Amino acid sequence: MGTIYITQDDAFIGKTDERLQVRSQKKTLLDVPMIKVDGVVVLGRATISPAALIELLERKIPLSFLTGTGRFLGRLEPPLTKNIFVRSAQWQAGENSPQAVHVVRGFIRGKLKNYRNTLMRAQRDASDPNSAAVAKLAEGIRRLEHAIAPINTTDTIDALRGLEGAGSAAYFGCFQHLLRAAGFSFTTRQKRPPTDPVNALLSFGYSLLRHDVESALNIVGFDPYLGYLHTQRYGRPSLALDVMEEFRPLVVDAMVLAAINRRSLTPTDFSTEPLSGAVSLSDDGRRTFLRLYEQKKQSQFKHPVMAKQCTYQEAFEIQARLLAKYLMGETDQYPPLVLK
Amino acid sequence: MIEPDYIPIAALNHYNYCPHRCWRMFCIGDFTDNQYTIEGTSLHDRVHTVGDSHREEVWQIRAVWLKSERYGLIGKADLIESENGQWYPVEYKRSHRGEFDNDELQVCAQALCLEEMTGQPVPVGYLYYAQSHQRQLVNLSDELRQTTIATLEAVRTLLHTGTMPKATYTPRCKGCSLFQACLPQAVEKVGRYREAE
Ligand code: SF4
Repeated sequence: MGTIYITQDDAFIGKTDERLQVRSQKKTLLDVPMIKVDGVVVLGRATISPAALIELLERKIPLSFLTGTGRFLGRLEPPLTKNIFVRSAQWQAGENSPQAVHVVRGFIRGKLKNYRNTLMRAQRDASDPNSAAVAKLAEGIRRLEHAIAPINTTDTIDALRGLEGAGSAAYFGCFQHLLRAAGFSFTTRQKRPPTDPVNALLSFGYSLLRHDVESALNIVGFDPYLGYLHTQRYGRPSLALDVMEEFRPLVVDAMVLAAINRRSLTPTDFSTEPLSGAVSLSDDGRRTFLRLYEQKKQSQFKHPVMAKQCTYQEAFEIQARLLAKYLMGETDQYPPLVLK
Repeated sequence: MIEPDYIPIAALNHYNYCPHRCWRMFCIGDFTDNQYTIEGTSLHDRVHTVGDSHREEVWQIRAVWLKSERYGLIGKADLIESENGQWYPVEYKRSHRGEFDNDELQVCAQALCLEEMTGQPVPVGYLYYAQSHQRQLVNLSDELRQTTIATLEAVRTLLHTGTMPKATYTPRCKGCSLFQACLPQAVEKVGRYREAE
């Protein structure tokens, strides 16, 4: 079953026996055995019964709260596992220690290589190799290569952040050329609030991804609030944001582009708030998006390190475990997930 | 880490199966249910109905806490029987005889406790295999006792120091409920991996 998303504002989440039930206006929207639930994400203002809450905690099922537009608000989580060994290794790799530098290199290299591979695929798939768009993609790829090349010889996290910034700018600089559906355009990445449909989808997707990556880190025993790339300087210390980096292009960007280019979502699925200009999905659009995200998470690929089939859902945990093995000195590298 | 006063009998079994598994379960509290452990639990639930009953001249007591001060052991026995004044433990197992010889250790550790608790020697114990309904005699020889005590000391050191024994990939990893968490092949695979340019 996986993650349950509850989007109805007036929904009531309760439990009967060993089942989680969601009701709205006297109708049952969902009735599933607890054992099949990996996580619950509430979007908006649904109510949850104390009994259901306790059951989720006892079963160690994380519950995240997002606003109706998908902004992450917080989460309720069972206590961290007893794995003090992973957490102490995490703390021992202090800021600018060789291990911290190594993992930050991995997060950034993973993300930028996946960015570059996305652009290269678009370049290969282009119908007219001489178009201005293809020239723009080539330029983006060149700039990304430029940011990737010095990563392994850069020794401070600040300088690595600079490379990450340059690479992301190069990628989003030609992101509009990845869109092939009328009515959608992209200029720059806008976060709070997103003021166009593409940014709204990206932000929404990253919130969902964060819920999943944070759950994986928690299972492995990490403290998700101690990060290496995202530290106090970025406002929120978070290992979840670090580990998310390599997955952003692979999971969220890929599914957002597919949703737009295959016209699963159209401009009519969005509405704009009057004063702020904040753009959000309609109820139907949101349901479509959640379904596509869940599908993406369950899609299979061959993990390049473990050399076996896995889903992205499983890969979140595999990457967290590989990170733990590196920090505990079992392996001498952290291999980010890089897919062609 | 707090020093545990008593070693859980089950830890011996896990240590014998794989020291890394023992570390995962008892030092870091990694315990995920898989088919094996779930089935095991439901079987145990049935066996563990506290109470005693008579079966001809055999006394049966189910779900008994066993403890030994001398060896610092603690654990729950599925079934303790007494026949003609002679006590012995019976340990229930889910399937037929295990591929790996660690169940006897558990019976032996139970017997050590039982000897201390009753003040009488316990020369034999039994393993009961639920699938085949067969009882197998476990002869509590000096050799088995020595192996059990040596394992107990190794487990005690492990729990006291918390030092992680290496995860080594062996055929028994396939049946291990902690495989997904342990990824025993990862170290070797990461060592060989070269990231695509
Ligand atoms: S997977 Fe193998 S190495 Fe890991 S705990 Fe289980 S038996 Fe031990």
